[in-house]
Amino acid sequence: MVEEDGNGSDTLKGTVETPGDLLKPALYRREGSTAAPARPALLGGKCVCGYVFFPMQHYGCERCGSTELSPLALTGRGRLLASARVHLDTGKHRKAPFTVGSIKLEDGPIVRTILLDNTKPFHADDPVATVLVDVLDPEGVIKRDLRFQRDA
Amino acid sequence: MPRSLKDMRPVYVVGIGLHRYQFLSQTSYVELGLTAARAALSDAKIAWPCVESAYVARAFLPMACGRPILRHLGATGIPLVHVENASASGSAAFRHACIEVGSGIHDVSLVLGVDKPMPIPREESLTGIGNLADDAIAPFTHFAMLGARYASQHGVKTEDFALVAVKNHLNGARNPFAQHQKERSLDEILAGKRIAGTLTSLQCTPVGEGAAAVIVASEDAIRALGIEATRAVRVTASAARSQRAYENADRYDAILTEETTRMALAAAGRVPSDLDVVELHDAFSVEEVEYVEAMGLCPSGRAIDALKEGVFDIGGRCAVSPSGGLIAMGHPIGPTGTGQIVEIVRQLRGEAGARQQPDAKVGLAHMVGLGAVCYVHILET
Repeated sequence: MVEEDGNGSDTLKGTVETPGDLLKPALYRREGSTAAPARPALLGGKCVCGYVFFPMQHYGCERCGSTELSPLALTGRGRLLASARVHLDTGKHRKAPFTVGSIKLEDGPIVRTILLDNTKPFHADDPVATVLVDVLDPEGVIKRDLRFQRDA
Repeated sequence: MPRSLKDMRPVYVVGIGLHRYQFLSQTSYVELGLTAARAALSDAKIAWPCVESAYVARAFLPMACGRPILRHLGATGIPLVHVENASASGSAAFRHACIEVGSGIHDVSLVLGVDKPMPIPREESLTGIGNLADDAIAPFTHFAMLGARYASQHGVKTEDFALVAVKNHLNGARNPFAQHQKERSLDEILAGKRIAGTLTSLQCTPVGEGAAAVIVASEDAIRALGIEATRAVRVTASAARSQRAYENADRYDAILTEETTRMALAAAGRVPSDLDVVELHDAFSVEEVEYVEAMGLCPSGRAIDALKEGVFDIGGRCAVSPSGGLIAMGHPIGPTGTGQIVEIVRQLRGEAGARQQPDAKVGLAHMVGLGAVCYVHILET
C-alpha cells in the first residue's frame, strides 16, 4: 500500500533502514564517496579533459568528444538552484504533489530530481545532499531510490 | 568562408496560410495540411504547379505524412522532404527552404507544418543512459524551476510571470487562428488550475493540432509569376544553434536564445532596438521573460517592469507574441515555427487587423526545441 506523503506518492514512510535493492543501481550506490562517506554517492564520470558528468556513460565526452572516460563517485552534495512544488501528475507512476529541485553538485554537474519534502520550504542556495528512501517499483516491490534533502 | 542568407540572392515570403490551431479533434491531418497549403497558394496568387519543392514539418505525425497531404494538390513530382526538430520543426523547415531558394537550386518552395498530438517515446528513454527521475521532470516542472530561480535572483514575484499570459491571451483574443481566443484577467490566470510552482494552466501552452504554410520565392519567381512584390517580405537572416556543454546547464534555453539571436541580428545588420515585432517560444510564461532579456529587448532583470510599462504590448516599443504566442495561439509542435513566420509576415505587410503593430518594419521569429535547438529568423519589409 502506497502511503501518500507528498514525496512523489511512491515514497514509503517509516522505512529508514531496509535492505531493499537499489531501484537504479547504475546511477547511485549506498556507500558514500571518500569526501562524503555518509552520503550515497552518485555514479558519475570524468573525462581526460577534466569535464565531470553524471551519470557515467561510455559514448563520449559532451565537452570534447573524447572516449577516455573514467567512473567517478560524486559526493552527492550540492546547492539548490531552484525548486518547485508539482501539482500535476508527470506520469502514470508519478502522482502529484511532489517537489522537484535543480541541484548544482559540488563536483560540477547539475541534476534535476525529486526532493524529499518536509514542512520547511526550500530556498535557492540551500545545501542539499543525497539520501536513499524506500519506494515501490512498478511491480510493487520495495526498492531504495535516491532523493535530495536539505543537508544539515 | 561561411555565408549567411544575406550573402545569397534575396529570399522572400510571398504566401502565408493557416489552419486554426485547436484542441485534438477528428479532423484528418490531410485536411489540416491542405487548408494551410491552399491558403498560402491563394495568398500568393500562384498555382500549385509553380511550386518546385516542399518541406513538411511535423513532430508527432508518422513518417512520410507529406505526400498523403500534397498529392491532393496534384502530384507534380517535386522534391519533398520531411523535417523533425521537436518544437522547432517548422522553423527548421523554413530555414532549409530559404537556403534552397537563396542558393538558386529552386525558385519557389512550400513550407508546410502540420501535426496532431499523439503519444511518442521520449528520446532520452532510449539512449541507454539512466536518469534519476525521468518521470518527474517534464517541461512544466523545468520551467517552474526556472521561474523560481529568476524570481529569487531578480527579486520579483513568481506571480508576475502571469502578466505575460494576460498580454498574450489579449492578443490571442484578436486572432481568429488562435486556439485560445479569450481575454483573461490577471486574477483569472492566477486562479486557474495549478500546474507546478506558481505556473497555472493559462500560463502554459495548450498543445493541440493545426497547420501553417508559407511560400518562399526568389525575385526571379516574383517577376516571372507576377507575384505582388509590395506584399513580399524579405528574409534577411536565418540562424540556428544547438546546445553546448554549459556551466549553467539549467538555463540552456536562454543561453541558446542569446547566442542564436546575436548571430541572426549580426547577419541582418540589425540591433535589438530595430525590432518592431517578435514572435518567441513562450510555451510557459517565464520563457518570455527570460527570452526578451536574452534577446536584448530589455536589460537583464527588467522584463517584468517592461511588461508592466506595456513595452511588449501591441502599440508598445516592440510587440512580443502579437499572435497570442504559444500560450494563446497554441503550439501544435510541427506547425508552430512556420506559424510564427505567418504572423511576422502579416504584421510586416500591415495586414494584421486588430492586432497590428503600427508601422512594423522589422520582425523576428524565435523557437527553441527539445534537444535543445534554437532558430532565429529576421524578416524585413
